[in-house]
Amino acid sequence: MVPKTTNKLPTLRDLLARAHLRLILFTVVLAAASLMLSGVLVIRAYAQRNLELMADTVAYTVEPAVVFQDRQAILDGMTSVGATRGIDRLEVTDPAGQTLARWDRPHTALRGWAVSSANALIWPEPARADVVQGGTVIARVKVYGNSGGILRYLLAAIVIALTCVGLTVLATRILARRLQNEVIAPLDHVAEVAHSVRQERAFEKRVPASGIAEIDRFGQDFNALLAELQGWHAGLTSENAELQRRATHDGLTGLGNRALFDQKLAEAVAESQRSGTPFALLYLDVDKFKQVNDEHGHTSGDAALIAVGDRLRGAIRHIDSAFRLGGDEFAVVLAPFFNRSHVDGVVHRIRTAMESPFRMPGGQLATTSLSIGVAVFPEDGSTPELLLSQADTAMYRDKESRYQAGPEGAENNA
Amino acid sequence: MPLGAPSAGGTAYEGAAARTVRGIMEYARWPQRRDPMQLCVVGPALHAGQLGAFRMADGRQVQRRNVAANVAALVGCDVVYLGQLGVPLQRQLTAAVRGRGVLTIAEADPANASEAMFAFTYQPRSLSFRLNIDAVSRSGMKVDPRVLRVAKGGL
Repeated sequence: MVPKTTNKLPTLRDLLARAHLRLILFTVVLAAASLMLSGVLVIRAYAQRNLELMADTVAYTVEPAVVFQDRQAILDGMTSVGATRGIDRLEVTDPAGQTLARWDRPHTALRGWAVSSANALIWPEPARADVVQGGTVIARVKVYGNSGGILRYLLAAIVIALTCVGLTVLATRILARRLQNEVIAPLDHVAEVAHSVRQERAFEKRVPASGIAEIDRFGQDFNALLAELQGWHAGLTSENAELQRRATHDGLTGLGNRALFDQKLAEAVAESQRSGTPFALLYLDVDKFKQVNDEHGHTSGDAALIAVGDRLRGAIRHIDSAFRLGGDEFAVVLAPFFNRSHVDGVVHRIRTAMESPFRMPGGQLATTSLSIGVAVFPEDGSTPELLLSQADTAMYRDKESRYQAGPEGAENNA
Repeated sequence: MPLGAPSAGGTAYEGAAARTVRGIMEYARWPQRRDPMQLCVVGPALHAGQLGAFRMADGRQVQRRNVAANVAALVGCDVVYLGQLGVPLQRQLTAAVRGRGVLTIAEADPANASEAMFAFTYQPRSLSFRLNIDAVSRSGMKVDPRVLRVAKGGL
């Protein structure tokens, strides 16, 4: 959902590129316009001075020709000095305004139109000079400027300005790319880390150093936040595991409790029904436990239970599982077997393990023994309840037979 | 110099000739400024009918005087206007005033042989003049170089 909206939003790179482009375009246009304007003004001022000088020169040159009323000489005189590039038209009139001689710069049609429009704009008035002889005005000279030079300057300035703008756009792109590498890539790192933390719970990831003070500070805070999150997450996970273990295990012996036993037994029944392989359930009871409790105290009873739990754990295979159902009663769910002798082997190992003595809280050594009942699924019961009751019955049979066998036999059932 | 309307009883070139003489005098510089100045018309002149007394642009008075065609008669002349005279006589007269600051103009010198500083040339509708640079340089006078542009050919 988030990427859809970000597609419409401008990226940081776009924003930076746009800001740069605007700034530089503004600068280039401002510089070009002011240079163009001042250039035109300066050139025009010089050209104006040139026109006035030209008018004076023409007036001086054609003076004798005017005196001798020789129009051809007037024309020759004024073209010889005045027909330069910056001049569009030369005109010599008598004091009454009658044209004595006139010279026009030849123009091509299109360029002539543009140039004469510009001429009218830049030189609305011609430069004038009087031909004076002995204090009397005998003719007037008019010089009209030609704007070709200024137009060429303007054209060159526009071409240069456009080139600058083109270079500007290019430079802006390069600048934006560099900025992306330097600024936006570190930000992208942060975003990537945040994304993978959220998606994959990868709390161990950290934002690398970027080399930019602000982003580094941001990255460090972000990393610190990640470390806190990681700590919280780890604590929560282990607490959950502990709670889970406590709910299903016996606090004293560390074996599975009654609830876990019920669950495992049901699973074993279901698995055995599915695979058709039989499995065995052992029901175990500590002999003379009540007597130990009464004679030596509860701490000694607990020590006996812990010893039984340890020996059970050591005697069974890793594929089997042992449980304490409560009081002095234990159970073992054996893995599916193909040969009944495996079950007998486990029972024998348990009895052997019980023969080694354990240390009581008082320091003296003691031994204990177990009555063991075996029930096999599905021969002895087709449900967990039937199976358990069969194993229980078998255990009592075992206890009775061993009680009759000797004085160290089974305890009285309370 | 285009021809003006001819006056009654004169030649078509009279007006132009008078204006041309005045123009040449405007651009000539004498060694000493004199006022009034003497314009001497030597011998029988054909086109000097309108060449009378006049005032120059800077205010100097010019007086016309008809003199005989001999060297002695030219004393006191500032401008010598040579009329219809033979070339040897014209040469003799110009040689007499050479170097003395006298402006010489020849009315009838088609071959440019009189050694006068200026000589008229006649076109059907206009009058112009030639300038003899050699004569100008030896005359003791100065002539505004801009007049060269107006002069037609010459030496």
